[in-house]
Amino acid sequence: MATSRSEAPPAPQSGTPSLRKDTSAPPFRRLLIANRGEIAVRIIRACRELGIETVAVYSDADAHAAHVRLAGAAVRIGPPPPTESYLRIDAIVAAAVETGSEAVHPGYGFLAERASFATAVEHAGLAFVGPPASVIDALGDKLHARRTARAVGVDAVPGTLEPAPVDQPDQVEAILAEAEAIGFPLLVKAAAGGGGRGMRRVATAADLPAALAAGSQEAASAFGDGSVYLEREIAPARHIEVQLLGDADGRVIAIGERDCSLQRRHQKLVEEAPAPGLTREERTHLHDLAVRVATAAGLRNAATAEFLRAPDGRFYFLEVNTRLQVEHGVTELVSGLDIVREQLFLAAGRPLSEAALAAAQAAAAPASHAIEVRISAEDPGRAFAPTPGRVTHWVMPAGPGVRVDTAIQAGERVPPDYDNLIAKLMVHAGDRPAAIDRLGRALDETEIAGIQTSLPFHRFVARDPSFREEELSTDWVAKHWEGAAEQAAAAGVAQLVAGLHALDVRDQAGALGRGVATGNGSWRRAGLEEAADRWPR
Amino acid sequence: MAAVSIRATLRGAQEGTVEPRVVERDAAGGSVELHGGARATLREAGSATPRQVLIQPLDRPGPAAARRLEVVVDGWRFEIEVEPEQRAALRERARRDRGDASHSGPLEVRAIIPGVVLSVAVAPGDEVAAGQQLLVVEAMKMQNELRASRAGTVERVTVGERSTIEVGDVLVVIE
Repeated sequence: MATSRSEAPPAPQSGTPSLRKDTSAPPFRRLLIANRGEIAVRIIRACRELGIETVAVYSDADAHAAHVRLAGAAVRIGPPPPTESYLRIDAIVAAAVETGSEAVHPGYGFLAERASFATAVEHAGLAFVGPPASVIDALGDKLHARRTARAVGVDAVPGTLEPAPVDQPDQVEAILAEAEAIGFPLLVKAAAGGGGRGMRRVATAADLPAALAAGSQEAASAFGDGSVYLEREIAPARHIEVQLLGDADGRVIAIGERDCSLQRRHQKLVEEAPAPGLTREERTHLHDLAVRVATAAGLRNAATAEFLRAPDGRFYFLEVNTRLQVEHGVTELVSGLDIVREQLFLAAGRPLSEAALAAAQAAAAPASHAIEVRISAEDPGRAFAPTPGRVTHWVMPAGPGVRVDTAIQAGERVPPDYDNLIAKLMVHAGDRPAAIDRLGRALDETEIAGIQTSLPFHRFVARDPSFREEELSTDWVAKHWEGAAEQAAAAGVAQLVAGLHALDVRDQAGALGRGVATGNGSWRRAGLEEAADRWPR
Repeated sequence: MAAVSIRATLRGAQEGTVEPRVVERDAAGGSVELHGGARATLREAGSATPRQVLIQPLDRPGPAAARRLEVVVDGWRFEIEVEPEQRAALRERARRDRGDASHSGPLEVRAIIPGVVLSVAVAPGDEVAAGQQLLVVEAMKMQNELRASRAGTVERVTVGERSTIEVGDVLVVIE
């Protein structure tokens, strides 16, 4: 296990008077969650288990959201647009100070990977639950991370190491020459990016200038930083990432890897742990690569190193996300570790726990399997277009080996202002086939109405033979998913349902008119009465 | 009582993707059983396996005597207008008799997702070709381009940069 001390200077411990070294006490008395949605709820739950008081922040779109209801206190930070609420460092740090919070957990997205936010939190004398600002700088900037990997002999995906000069017309020739050297198709990626935002696939040199401009604009909108760079497209590839934890002594461990190959537009749809089909040696090698990069950058707290696995089995380093990942839950299920709980202790300056060290030891030979599907407000029949709106009916699965992380309930509106993830459905079983069976069963129990969600896609994955046979790659969705056709087939059935139901209503409306009401359910009765009024007999 | 049939037509986001289906009591070969809430079971003739579906009324404006239902099948959500077939046929004949005037009117480009307008690529008076980008809308942090479905002259642009839009809002009118 790599234990080399980091080169980055340790953060001043004196600046955080709230640190508790007493291992029996909660790591903090009160903590502010600088996020919303399911991840804010997830963090509140970990805090409550530790006896930590919680403070939520919210925009006007979230005044009645689950994270506000569950937190001990809540502070309004602005109107719905993220730039006026969840991205406002000043307002969030002020809320933390005014509520007497001792720590801030950023969740994922929003400010989680902004070094300036971590700095502001640290300067306010509070603990930032995540890597220190210096590490976010080193690893959160993808270009910096690529250079760091190269320095410790870890192969990154071939591409550029400096930002593309998007705003300098005289540099167009130079960037085109670099692109030709990397080879097409290639990807324009945001240096500050994540989740595919700011990313563009470029097939020919002629398309490059427009892709650079569009990618840069989207990156500026999403991250406040328009820097973009070029990377070769490795295809077909598997996306495999390693969950890392690090403590203030500079000790970094890997507690398992996840396969997140099923993506669309470079956003993950399905994640599983462990990555199927790796030998023990390959698994250990991958964990070692991740620990090397993270150690070199001085990782503390939690992060995830992402790799692509080429068809020849080689791993190429992609980037490090210096935060809790959306899909951390599958690692929790397989390792038995509560990653958020570990984060809180690490942020309070405690060394890596016995549980974390044991999980790292066990990570070479995982003994169970977990799969997560991201249920999102998207239409998988229309290229996963966003479908915000009001959820009118909401039933989540339960039973053995099922975990659902969500902040939604029936009657709630999914606002258009934020990420479209509405629930993470995770299943856990002894092995992968059993986990897939369990996923299918859990999806059958899932009922959502009011908005279109990605549910049909997940149902397809759960019964698809190639998924079961571990044929995973980042172009799996494009190769296997014919959403429009699936949707059209279901439409025929839905029309039949609607037609049969309308016939029943019409018949019974006739009966109702003669005083023989047989409806069951209030809306149905209302429907009958309305039908009796409006439908000619 | 004369045999009744119902015409079920997709509306909303999937409108026009699938032909309307005419469902008759005798020929339909199936039944729908409600369980309270939105839950229902479809039993199709010729299929041994019943399907669990969701069905709810939708309060959406529509032609008189037509009702809208929301039906969810295997996670797929549809808005479906149901109308007695006889009535639908009458209405269609009336429309045909009026001629095809409705086909040559101005094209209203409407928002299909709520969000914020990032940029507007056209101005009143501009000639646009089919497929040309009109504006870019950002929703859920993704950029979505709206393109002209046919050629024409831009008559009106009702939104500007940073405008917040809701589903159904008219954004651009092409003459």
